[in-house]
Amino acid sequence: MIIIDGATGEGGGQIFRTALTLSMALGKPVRILNIRAGRKKPGLLRQHLACLKAARAISSAEVTGDVIGSQDVTFVPGKVKAGSFHFSVGSAGSTTLIFQTIFPVLALQDEVSEVTLEGGTHNGMAPSFDFLHACFLPAVEKLGFTFASQIESYGFYPAGGGRWTTRIYPRKQARPLLLLQRGQLQGCEALVTQAKIPFSVADRELEVLRRALHIDDANLHRRNVNSVGPGNIVSLQLQYSDHVEVMEAIGERGVRAEQVAKKLVMQVQNYQASEAPVGEFLADQLIVPMALTEGGCFCASPLSSHFNTNVAVVEKFLDVNVEINHNAHNALVTIKPLTKTHWTTH
Amino acid sequence: MKTVVIGILGTTLDRRGKRKERWDKWRPTVSMCQQEDLLIDRLELLYDARSRSLAETVTEDIALISPETQVCHHHVDFTDAWDFEQVYAALLDFARSYTFKPQEENYLIHITTGTHVAQICLYLLNEAHYLPGKLLQTSPAGNKEKLSGSYQIIDLDLSKYDEIASRFKKEHEEGTTYLKGGITTYNATFNTMIDQLEQVSIRSNEPILIMGPTGAGKSQLAKRVYELRKHRARLSGELVTVNCATLRGENAMSTLFGHKKGAFTGAISDRPGLLKQADGGLLFLDEVGELGLDEQAMLLRAIEDKTFMPLGSDKEVCSHFQLIAGTNKNLVQCVKAGSFRDDLLARIDLWTYTLPSLKERKEDIEPNLDYELDAYAKKANTLVTFNKNARTRYLDFCLSRDALWSGNFRDLNASVTRMATLASGGRITEENVDAEIQRLKQKWQTQEQPDPVNSFNMLDQLMNDNYLVAFDNYELAALTYAVNVCRESASMAEAGRKLFNVSRESKSSNNDSHRIKQLLQKFNITFHDIKSL
Repeated sequence: MIIIDGATGEGGGQIFRTALTLSMALGKPVRILNIRAGRKKPGLLRQHLACLKAARAISSAEVTGDVIGSQDVTFVPGKVKAGSFHFSVGSAGSTTLIFQTIFPVLALQDEVSEVTLEGGTHNGMAPSFDFLHACFLPAVEKLGFTFASQIESYGFYPAGGGRWTTRIYPRKQARPLLLLQRGQLQGCEALVTQAKIPFSVADRELEVLRRALHIDDANLHRRNVNSVGPGNIVSLQLQYSDHVEVMEAIGERGVRAEQVAKKLVMQVQNYQASEAPVGEFLADQLIVPMALTEGGCFCASPLSSHFNTNVAVVEKFLDVNVEINHNAHNALVTIKPLTKTHWTTH
Repeated sequence: MKTVVIGILGTTLDRRGKRKERWDKWRPTVSMCQQEDLLIDRLELLYDARSRSLAETVTEDIALISPETQVCHHHVDFTDAWDFEQVYAALLDFARSYTFKPQEENYLIHITTGTHVAQICLYLLNEAHYLPGKLLQTSPAGNKEKLSGSYQIIDLDLSKYDEIASRFKKEHEEGTTYLKGGITTYNATFNTMIDQLEQVSIRSNEPILIMGPTGAGKSQLAKRVYELRKHRARLSGELVTVNCATLRGENAMSTLFGHKKGAFTGAISDRPGLLKQADGGLLFLDEVGELGLDEQAMLLRAIEDKTFMPLGSDKEVCSHFQLIAGTNKNLVQCVKAGSFRDDLLARIDLWTYTLPSLKERKEDIEPNLDYELDAYAKKANTLVTFNKNARTRYLDFCLSRDALWSGNFRDLNASVTRMATLASGGRITEENVDAEIQRLKQKWQTQEQPDPVNSFNMLDQLMNDNYLVAFDNYELAALTYAVNVCRESASMAEAGRKLFNVSRESKSSNNDSHRIKQLLQKFNITFHDIKSL
């Protein structure tokens, strides 16, 4: 059994989720200790428990320690079966984190899976559905995967109640991921997605983006979406010929619209200051699907503690060579699996 | 284990309308289902029929934010949610009809919603174990917190709340009579006696004599008289307590009356003595019957003239003290037996009070139990309480025939101290009580078994009291042994062989039965008396 010390690296939920994913994908039992040991509320929170339950459901795993506050979980995966799944998570929990935990496993099966997720979709504590849909999944598809996702309703904090579905198709081509440059900038779109909030808020946010980033009026969008509770999120999509990057900032109660937009402007300016195509949030999420397939190479900036954590967990599970070459502004990440894993490709 | 919350729908705090603005407000019942480290599997939501639509809104919202939580509705009708009796009855009915499964489910009683009356009732029902589990308190968010705010789980049985509990330590001293030590006593004889003693101790400086068995509370009472008098500014000096049974020989004289340097070997410096130390205060002489005759004479003079002569001194010393004498002996009998001076008895026998034994004051066991618990709390700085059943069980035993209370309040004090010390989390359970009852029974049983040398129990039955006090303890001890041997022997001759085992060897002829007869005759007992015990 592989033992993972949950207190190492970023020491939070990421290490736990990554360990579950790899355990299922490789059929290797894992025991995760000291889960979130240094945190104010240590052990499993509801969102982690939701991921654990989803992982158990798709892999018929035998699990111990699956209670709130648990700092010691053993996970013995059974046979993973593709199929239809439905997972719900309370308002604060991100449906996107559940998805990230299970998709690499389902994507490596021979059958199509359909996953319906209910709960938070745009809660500011995890990548939003829009990031997943427009930035993350297209990047992962470069490895030969195919996804088709659709959102029915949006789930903002605190009411939640979002719902979306993804079809996960069997992998068609086996190829490494190559994402070394952005290519030509073809578009820059700002979008405010909101529900039950006056449009004046969206307008103030867009005005900040327009001034700071010099975006044409034609590329400033606002939309009202179907959601049970109020919410507001502002995002910016940079469309390059080789990559689409999405950055976003969530509107919060008690935070001025201008302040929210300024947060996004900072992110965008940081991204633009570098030449690396892969942004901070994308980089750490690419490690696991790459390590489980043919690997590849990407250029990223910056690398977060989540990234390092994921690399460390991957190295525990897999015979894999991860090389990170830093130059002045960017990091070149190369992942080479050394042994062929047990599944076949189509 | 499942987590089940039992809570009342908050008709004010949970009512934030049906519009989207409700999501901007803290709603305790909704918010508690949003805590990231608290997963509520089921919510038992209690509400009045009039709040049905609110209950539905709240239930729908919980389904959104916490799909894991099943919400069960319970109609509880409070015609007046501020009527204590009604609310308590309604909640008690709910608690009684509800099937608790403590093996499978953890219960949390949400006390943030509902009227104050309802909150108090929930607390009481939890305390009385009608609603098992812990209390759940939710609170709104601070400035930088998430809207869902925070929560606390309060376990009434946990010792960490002792700090709070100890603040409730009652200030018995205030506004209650000092003499009873703040204990509300019910025994009529005792209360009458205390009432009078209170008046005497306020108005009179004359000696007071307190009689009563060991542990009946003589020293306690003396201390209370002292405090009462001091409180009324009738005393400026200190309380000096001495047990006369501990005073022997020259040491007794010097301890009480002091000595001059060089008065005897070892008197290397002046010693003022306890009588001088009690100047302006109160001297409590416990077991005064144990005082030697010489000391009695000195004491009498000290009481009458307020002066006495320290050992080796040629100057009299003056001391104004109030005397309280305590005794468990019948001093009248001691006078007859010549071991106590009649003039001293006459002098101190002005205000005489007999403290009844604990067994004679059974109605006061319960208040004294509370007093002892309180006293323990003060001493150990930790509040100890009985759980309801444990208390009932203990009191039943205390009042039963099995409870001999031979050590009186000393036994009760020791018993409470033992239970309080062994109670984990400040809670005395039925197991603690059962174990304590066994200890007490065992203690009293061993005491009851006649000790062949020391116990005079048997002699009480053979000799009348007046006769008994006429002999030295040594003689009575020897007699007890002789009586025991007689009981175990078939004839006087057999008893004689055992008792005179050495001296009979040196005699040419032996008449063992005659010697026994003579021995018993001295005490006015016959062999037949002993055999018919």
